[in-house]
Amino acid sequence: MRIMVLAETQKALTELCAGASQISPQVEAVIIGDQLKVVADTIWYIPAQEYAMLEDYTESIAALIKQEKPELIIVEPTKRYKLIAGRIAAMLGTTVITDVLELEKDFVAKRMVYGGTAIRTEKVVSGSTIVMVGSGVLQSKSVTEVTVREERPVQFIEPKIRLKRIAREEKERVAVDLPGAKVVVGIGRGIAEQKDLEMIKQLALALKGEIGCTRPIAEAEKWMPKETYLGVSGLIIAPEVYIAIGISGQIQHTVGINRSKLIVSINKEKSAPIFKQSDYGIVGDLYKVLPALIKHFG
Amino acid sequence: MKIITCIKVVPEEQDIVIKADGELSFDRAKPTISAYDLNAVEAGAQLLEECGGDFIALSVGSGGIDNPKLKKNILSRGPESLVMVADDRLKDLDTHQTAKVLKAAIEKVGEYDLILCGEGSSDLYAQQVGPQLGQLLNVPTINSVSKITQSDGKIVVQRTLENEVETLESVLPALVIVTSDINLPRIATMSHVLAAGKKPATVWTLEDIGVLELFNTIEVIDTRAPQQVERKQDIVEGDTDEAIQEFITKLSTVLAK
Ligand SMILES: Cc1cc2nc3c(=O)[nH]c(=O)nc-3n(C[C@H](O)[C@H](O)[C@H](O)COP(=O)(O)OP(=O)(O)OC[C@H]3O[C@@H](n4cnc5c(N)ncnc54)[C@H](O)[C@@H]3O)c2cc1C
Ligand SMILES: Nc1ncnc2c1ncn2[C@@H]1O[C@H](COP(=O)(O)O)[C@@H](O)[C@H]1O
Repeated sequence: MRIMVLAETQKALTELCAGASQISPQVEAVIIGDQLKVVADTIWYIPAQEYAMLEDYTESIAALIKQEKPELIIVEPTKRYKLIAGRIAAMLGTTVITDVLELEKDFVAKRMVYGGTAIRTEKVVSGSTIVMVGSGVLQSKSVTEVTVREERPVQFIEPKIRLKRIAREEKERVAVDLPGAKVVVGIGRGIAEQKDLEMIKQLALALKGEIGCTRPIAEAEKWMPKETYLGVSGLIIAPEVYIAIGISGQIQHTVGINRSKLIVSINKEKSAPIFKQSDYGIVGDLYKVLPALIKHFG
Repeated sequence: MKIITCIKVVPEEQDIVIKADGELSFDRAKPTISAYDLNAVEAGAQLLEECGGDFIALSVGSGGIDNPKLKKNILSRGPESLVMVADDRLKDLDTHQTAKVLKAAIEKVGEYDLILCGEGSSDLYAQQVGPQLGQLLNVPTINSVSKITQSDGKIVVQRTLENEVETLESVLPALVIVTSDINLPRIATMSHVLAAGKKPATVWTLEDIGVLELFNTIEVIDTRAPQQVERKQDIVEGDTDEAIQEFITKLSTVLAK
């Protein structure tokens, strides 16, 4: 059985190829330009084109898939590849299963639906299966089992439509390792002002934890980087301790944190749903509780 | 500019009931506008105000989406007219089928300059209908767009990705998928709601748009609520000094481990 891997980052490419090799010994990677390195049975190499965006390789990748017909295509879930994979699926008359949580045998995939209210188990029934899986989903025992046996060039196909890139700016890198943190302090709309983040930082420092947040804190308020929100459309974490501060506990958020060993919450409303999902909690004003916590643990 | 915004009608999430066996019941869940499609509607409304033209909302789904209250809700947010393909054969569509039906509906509508989609539907959140639809229509397609400006037949968009922000230019017609933070959707006023009742709404069947065959690309095996983790729920009530102290004592013992 043949598996093809598409990734934008080195980390994902290595991980997805290693994970794929546990499913089938026939792992093939598509590499554009020569920036990424990988071990695989076959590397399909598309030479880098001048001024091309990743999106400009969509037709070339689709043609390769049409020709080679791999049974499974595993794609890194980045924004660019969500667009590219969708366009390829449309060209092939199939679909893409995005944000897969588990990939079982016969490519049965599990993903969250209804904002995390339910897990759907589904399977592609038309031609190649295209799945997008995040970090940690595919288990790999060893990374070095496969070696490159073949490197094969792929003909670049000039896309019918090219977008014109006028400018490009690197975003500031976010230096947090939320998935790796033992303690995570999560903040929500209960925080009244951006300047109150100082207090949160002090608490996180005292508990040797990292700071995560709910989606509105990142997207609406823009107080925290987008990469730090937790939940169905953000990160899914499983720390030893998660401390939810001023977070109501909507399902879209809690599915990102409910694998934490211990959940502690601080909320002024007794009826906040977060308490039902907490081991410890206090019904109180965070502006009274936090200073005492910082004093005690600091 | 002629704008079409694609809106998904979804069951109101808060009213989905988890049954004892973990299956979901939608009996009490009313049809509503998928949350992030409000941003796509608002983006269309703002462009219409800026450059004039025409603004249509388009939704496809089962017969139940043809709901007067819902139609008014959509039309009160800026679109000048609404087109629905409401047909019970369109229940539980996968993203491939949705894109196909949308394409057929758009072709029946006719000319357009810009198609807007939301970031992801609040039920499936597949983030796939936009990319697939753009490809089926053979127009430039851009996702993750956090700003749109237009000038003579072109658009310039800001695209916010994981580690970079890029500015792209595209000719029209094009399909643009907006982020959920591109704007703050307006709240419809009473007069908007009243005006919405007078705006045209067209409802088509599959035959009307000439789609005779639809095949599943996905087989859904099961949809059920995940097992809940049992939590202690040891909650201290009140924020008096004593209560806070009690909370700290509990925390100290578990955090020390
Ligand atoms: C498709 C979709 C995907 C989504 N994905 C995500 C996701 O991945 N992650 C995510 O987080 N959200 C997501 N959301 C949004 C989610 O539905 C909720 O809106 C969000 O999680 C709520 O954030 P919050 O708890 O910060 O705010 P709120 O719900 O407003 O809660 C604020 C809480 O703070 C408490 N509070 C206020 N003041 C104080 C005080 N002084 N002291 C103590 N407590 C106080 C209040 O009692 C309240 O419970 C998604 C939504 C949709 C539709
Ligand atoms: N049934 C539908 N009718 C109209 N537009 C839809 C429909 N389903 C999805 N869309 C559009 O496609 C976007 C992405 O949906 P999805 O791929 O399901 O996450 C939505 O935000 C809508 O703009």
